[in-house]
Amino acid sequence: MDKKLHVVWFALLLDYGATAQTPVITDGIMMDRKNLCTGLFYGADSWKNYWEGTLKRDNQNIGTVTTQNVTWMGVYGLNKKVSLIALLPYVWTKASGGTLHGVQGLQDITLAVKYHFLEKEWNQNRLNFFALGAYSMPASNYTPDFLPLSIGMGCKNFSGRFTSTYSLKKVWNFTASGAYTWRSNIYLDRSSYYTNGQLYYSNEVQMFDLFDFIMRAGYYQPNWHAELFYVQQNTLGGSDIRRQDMPFASNQMNYSKVGASLLWKVPFVASLTARAWGSYTVAGRNVGQSTTVMAGLMYNIPFTKTEQ
Amino acid sequence: MNPFKFITALLSVTAFTIVTSCNKPVNYSEGLFPLVPANVDSNAGAWKPVVVTSYTKYVATVPAPADTSTAAYKTELATVKNLQSVLSSSQQSAIAYWSDGGVLRWNQIFRELVARFNLPPAPLANGTYIFPDVNNPFGYPQFPFANPPYAARAYSYVSAAMYDALKAAWYYKYQYKRPSPYLVDKNVKSWMPKVNIPSYPSEEAVMSGAAQTILQALFPAAVEEIVTKAGEQRSVALLSGKAALSDISVGLALGKAVAQDYLTRAGADGMGSSVGTQPQWQALVDTAKLHWAKLPTPVMASDVVTWTSLDAPARPPMLPFFGTKTSPGLGVKGWMMANSDFINERPVPPPVATSDLMKAQLAEVKYYSKNLTRDREAIVLKWADGVNTVTPPGHWNQIAEGYVRDAHFSEVRAARAFALLNMVMHDAAIGCWECKYYYYNPRPTQLDASVKTGTGIPNFPSYASGHSTFSGAAATVLSYLFPTGATYFNAQAQEATLSRLYGGIHYRIDCEVGLVHGQRIGAYTVNFAKTDGAN
Repeated sequence: MDKKLHVVWFALLLDYGATAQTPVITDGIMMDRKNLCTGLFYGADSWKNYWEGTLKRDNQNIGTVTTQNVTWMGVYGLNKKVSLIALLPYVWTKASGGTLHGVQGLQDITLAVKYHFLEKEWNQNRLNFFALGAYSMPASNYTPDFLPLSIGMGCKNFSGRFTSTYSLKKVWNFTASGAYTWRSNIYLDRSSYYTNGQLYYSNEVQMFDLFDFIMRAGYYQPNWHAELFYVQQNTLGGSDIRRQDMPFASNQMNYSKVGASLLWKVPFVASLTARAWGSYTVAGRNVGQSTTVMAGLMYNIPFTKTEQ
Repeated sequence: MNPFKFITALLSVTAFTIVTSCNKPVNYSEGLFPLVPANVDSNAGAWKPVVVTSYTKYVATVPAPADTSTAAYKTELATVKNLQSVLSSSQQSAIAYWSDGGVLRWNQIFRELVARFNLPPAPLANGTYIFPDVNNPFGYPQFPFANPPYAARAYSYVSAAMYDALKAAWYYKYQYKRPSPYLVDKNVKSWMPKVNIPSYPSEEAVMSGAAQTILQALFPAAVEEIVTKAGEQRSVALLSGKAALSDISVGLALGKAVAQDYLTRAGADGMGSSVGTQPQWQALVDTAKLHWAKLPTPVMASDVVTWTSLDAPARPPMLPFFGTKTSPGLGVKGWMMANSDFINERPVPPPVATSDLMKAQLAEVKYYSKNLTRDREAIVLKWADGVNTVTPPGHWNQIAEGYVRDAHFSEVRAARAFALLNMVMHDAAIGCWECKYYYYNPRPTQLDASVKTGTGIPNFPSYASGHSTFSGAAATVLSYLFPTGATYFNAQAQEATLSRLYGGIHYRIDCEVGLVHGQRIGAYTVNFAKTDGAN
């Protein structure tokens, strides 16, 4: 359920460094050289039902958990083949039921490098391959020990991602992307905790690595793109939430989501692009069944005239 | 390679290294080291018993052992040597594990059991709850729900039973003075620290028998692993050359016999009626109003706000009759305090909920609720000790552990420390629960729903704070046992106390009164300790 939060969040947005749903991370769009594209996004994710292990349930002591964020995003074209990406979300959480208070703060900062390393073209077909490395770490001293209302997991992440895109006649676009995310251990404010069927006399918690993959199918026009996507993320270890227990940061949080995204070049305002996407969790484990929406504007700033 | 690629590669490798180098399995076993007691406490057989009437009553269980020169004993020596010649690595690991001290290890084991069983039952679809059933421990809801009073009582029974059993063992050890096998036969290796304590009956076997007997009664669903752990401890005594088979079999019998006396007490200590029934719960509310009406300055029933559950759906009160002292036949028996002591020590009432004094208390809680700084949040989380944890009494056992370890106490003196600590926290649980249900005072969030909390609201009345009472009692006893740690213990108790105000679940008066109440309860156990013959 926490996951859910995170799911939404992370998944959508940042995904604990995997950022599996963030189009800029998983798509095949590159910036032109010496162009900076930057903007703000707003997102909201909420869930009422969650999976306690594999048992789907609700819980009146939390009601509906809503996680909102405002995220700054920047993409800079170092050259035609390399883009640098940065994300920084401010997150706030709230539970509609029970007595626990919501939390807010800067979540995790993500820095990524996207490298367009191969391109094949024949007839009307184009095949492109990208590699992406992303590092993320908490941008504030928030606690991961207050799930499902914590704003993040508190770990450092490093993701290695491969993305391939295939386009037919420049109109039909298909994307497949997968990443492995290494996660650092985290530290709690308490000196013992129970998980994995044993009591750990430590404040240090092992966070298991993540694997995600995403598939997108899109229809591209010069001024707009529309895509459907499926994303799945699995935690490669960790325990289930026990019956009537609280969620814990190292739980095995898995989810599958379906969603759609839109990109629209705003008319009459050259350089302004609107993006929006949303998703729904169709299956999960130790996460909330969340509905997520996110939308924002990106503005393109060229730092060189010759290459525009 | 161009500079950009080089930098990118370098950064990637660095980030990868930072993340992966700190993703390692966490060592879950708190740091202990092989126990070599500073003092063997050869007179522990003269220390005052807690429950057993005398150590001599077990003489039929611990008859004079065969002399080490007999053929029967030599056969036992041969068995040890044979086993030592084929020691496996898992057996060596077990020896290393138990060499750190049986009392310390059992303390860790039962804290883990409490954490595992510390989950409340989930609500049914119709909004009601089923209580855990001792006769159906493997069903759902699991038995027990090891909440703080249950845990306090459980910790105290297993700790006190091990303490009395070890004192009985010491009595016979120094009466018979039979040496360990490795001292009798130089071909027997000693794989545990050489403590030079007579081996009949084996203290490992005594501990295993006492701990196993009590724990399997308290945590019946965990019987298999409890029995396995106990068996491992006994096999370690044998394999390490510390005890012969007869030392062990008699030790096991003694440990079980002492524990049986404790189970007899437990069966009649009032725990069975601590849950109560729906009509009794309603009567308890009415009785609480009468208590307010009978105060020197009577409070009208219409001015009294009685506690209601803030769980959703509303949950029956947690063990409402655990501390009852004013209704005959109800309430759990204390260790060092008579029923009249609990009544005498009951805190004076809090300001009535509708008074200006209480409004000021509530305003302060609301301030902390709205201003939970990260520093205060860390304190709240450090001391949350809620579901799925060892509970506050377990937390104090963890605090004590390092002091017991570093003092190099003999097993019997270590058992004394944990017995005193856990008995006082059991008495604190009773005193606190007596007070809570006597006044039935509401939580801050009940008086003002806008008071959001930084941790879960426990499902029982507010006054006084359980954390504070446990901590005041624990710090008092630990300060007596380890005077050099007194400043630290009292600072920890103070922090635990304030954590409940910071978390928005208690008024300051709950915390401050609870802490002092706990300290007064602690004095009873300290008085016992001063005259128990161990000083």
